[in-house]
Amino acid sequence: MSEPSPTGRERPVDAEIRRPLSRGYDRLVRAVGRLPAKVSTKLLIAFVGTSLVLVTVGLLGQRVLGQSNDRVGSLGALQERAVAYGQLQRDAWHVRALLAQNVGDDFYGVWPGGDPGDAGDPVALDTAARDAVDRVGAATTVDRLGFAPPAEEAETLLSIRSNAEQLSTLIKRLIDLDKVIVGQLAKIGKRESPPGDERWLLLREDVERLAMDVYQQAAQLGNEKTAQIDDLIARNASSFQNSRDLFIGVSLGAIVLALLLGFVLAWSVIGPIQRIDARLAGIASGDFSGHVDVENRDELGGLAANVNRMNDELRRLYTELEETSRHKSEFLASMSHELRTPLNAIIGFSEVLREEMFGPVNEKQAEYLDDIISSGNHLLSLINDVLDLSKVEAGQVELEVGPFSLREALERGVVMVREKATDEGVQVELSAGPEVDVVEGDERRIKQVIFNLLSNAVKFTPTGGEVDVSAIRVNGEVRVSVADTGPGIAPRDHERIFEEFQQTDAGLEQLEGTGLGLALSKRLVELHGGRIWLESELGKGSTFVFTLPARSASP
Amino acid sequence: MTGERILVVEDNEKNMKLFRDVLSATGYRTLEATNGGEAVELATEHAPDLVLMDIQMPDVDGVEALRRLRADERTAAIPVLAVTAQAMQGDREHFLAEGFDGYLSKPLNVRELIGTVRQHCDGRAG
Repeated sequence: MSEPSPTGRERPVDAEIRRPLSRGYDRLVRAVGRLPAKVSTKLLIAFVGTSLVLVTVGLLGQRVLGQSNDRVGSLGALQERAVAYGQLQRDAWHVRALLAQNVGDDFYGVWPGGDPGDAGDPVALDTAARDAVDRVGAATTVDRLGFAPPAEEAETLLSIRSNAEQLSTLIKRLIDLDKVIVGQLAKIGKRESPPGDERWLLLREDVERLAMDVYQQAAQLGNEKTAQIDDLIARNASSFQNSRDLFIGVSLGAIVLALLLGFVLAWSVIGPIQRIDARLAGIASGDFSGHVDVENRDELGGLAANVNRMNDELRRLYTELEETSRHKSEFLASMSHELRTPLNAIIGFSEVLREEMFGPVNEKQAEYLDDIISSGNHLLSLINDVLDLSKVEAGQVELEVGPFSLREALERGVVMVREKATDEGVQVELSAGPEVDVVEGDERRIKQVIFNLLSNAVKFTPTGGEVDVSAIRVNGEVRVSVADTGPGIAPRDHERIFEEFQQTDAGLEQLEGTGLGLALSKRLVELHGGRIWLESELGKGSTFVFTLPARSASP
Repeated sequence: MTGERILVVEDNEKNMKLFRDVLSATGYRTLEATNGGEAVELATEHAPDLVLMDIQMPDVDGVEALRRLRADERTAAIPVLAVTAQAMQGDREHFLAEGFDGYLSKPLNVRELIGTVRQHCDGRAG
């Protein structure tokens, strides 16, 4: 996504670089955003919508399965009937086969005396045929079938049964005739044209025809079933394909719809959040120039409106604050000037007199002039410290942080107090290794702190005493300590002396110092992210320690 | 006593008197201006040996006056010292960067004033 831009108007640019393809999608997202409903409601609707689509897919799947199951069921029933009708067909064929053994080209062959060994007994054959016809007739009943055939088939079955019964009667007569012929033949004892031949042949023809009818009817039933099964299988296959296509289509549609709903809804939320976030990033970095543009009429729209209001309010406050701060700054600068100008005259003229540029002054006068000058200088340092402190408090001191040599800063500090220390018989020792050659900080401010601590230490150390300055690197920070052999400070005063105008009794006796040096040092150290503290007991000297976070390691 | 002419630019009457007395007692002649505009006129007219320039003044301030002096070839070479009560830390560097030849902070130390003035006048004479 786009980087937070300082103008807070990154959206139009963003829209321009979008591909045209996504414009419609973008419009859809924004339209969803503009719907006057809560995000939770929109989410609920999307969820319910997606669920409904899924339920539809489920129902459809169930229907497809149900249809498939039905088809399998009807296929089973059909097969059951096909088996039964197949049996019927075979039985009917058997009847014809038995009858055929008794007739045909080999007509005379079947008769005894012809070649009784080769052919069957005509009476026995026809009896067997009759039994077979009876079986066919019996097989058409519902009891034997094991199922209730549909009306049309039932009619055919009925017709088969009645034909079979008729056939059975005819065969009975044929058998009777057979017996007569057999008896006659037995009497004749030779192979001649048997008596009653014409009747027998006519009857036989009727039997053959009827058996053929029965067979054809049964065959028709069986073939119909087979055709129906084939048809059902074919329909099943095409129906399954259709159902499958429909199911896949609807499922894909459901997935696409769910994804689209999810994406559109998500982006109608995420887009505004990203824009609001970019604007907030701008505000956080002090840029109050832009408004976030969110069209949503839901919680996000409300949020954006509040962000914009906050932006305006902050801009107003910030402008006011800047104004106030500038006034204060100007006031500080002019106060500094106004206070120093008369001091310049006071100290200057006193010095002119003290230097006896315009004639000698007596001893008392010289002493008073010295007092005026030192008090004037004291007042000057007070003014300086108060100004410095109020600048720090007003947040107007901006650290000019850079790498500098802490060791050199300490050496400079020591040089600055060396003269006073030598005058008062105080020895100043410095130990700082190359590890503090490069530290990060505002050199000028750190020097100020060092000088303050050093001049305090020299000031409070009696003749013959010692001031030890050291700097080391410990636990990722630089630690500077200034230890003296002065009177020490009671633990109850350890916190107090870092407050403004708070001095120890020893400090008050000194009559110099502003009571602001440590307060200022504390502020400056803390501005660097460091700490300052005191380790001391009465009569055991004092050690002031301050730390600086070591931002950069030694080279 | 060489009698070099020093242009003092100072809007405070008492301080002007202090400069005048100290400098004349030390042997210098003084020209006096109370604001930047006047200072530029006097400098152009009299070509002083040194300018002691107050910074904070009504109308044309010291920095602007310095810019005008440097812009005019007749006055461009005259050394100018900033004399200011804006003695906050870092100001010295700031004024030197502006193009001043030196810097004195108020309140003035008389010895320091004389020393600095001598240094610049002698340097110029030498």
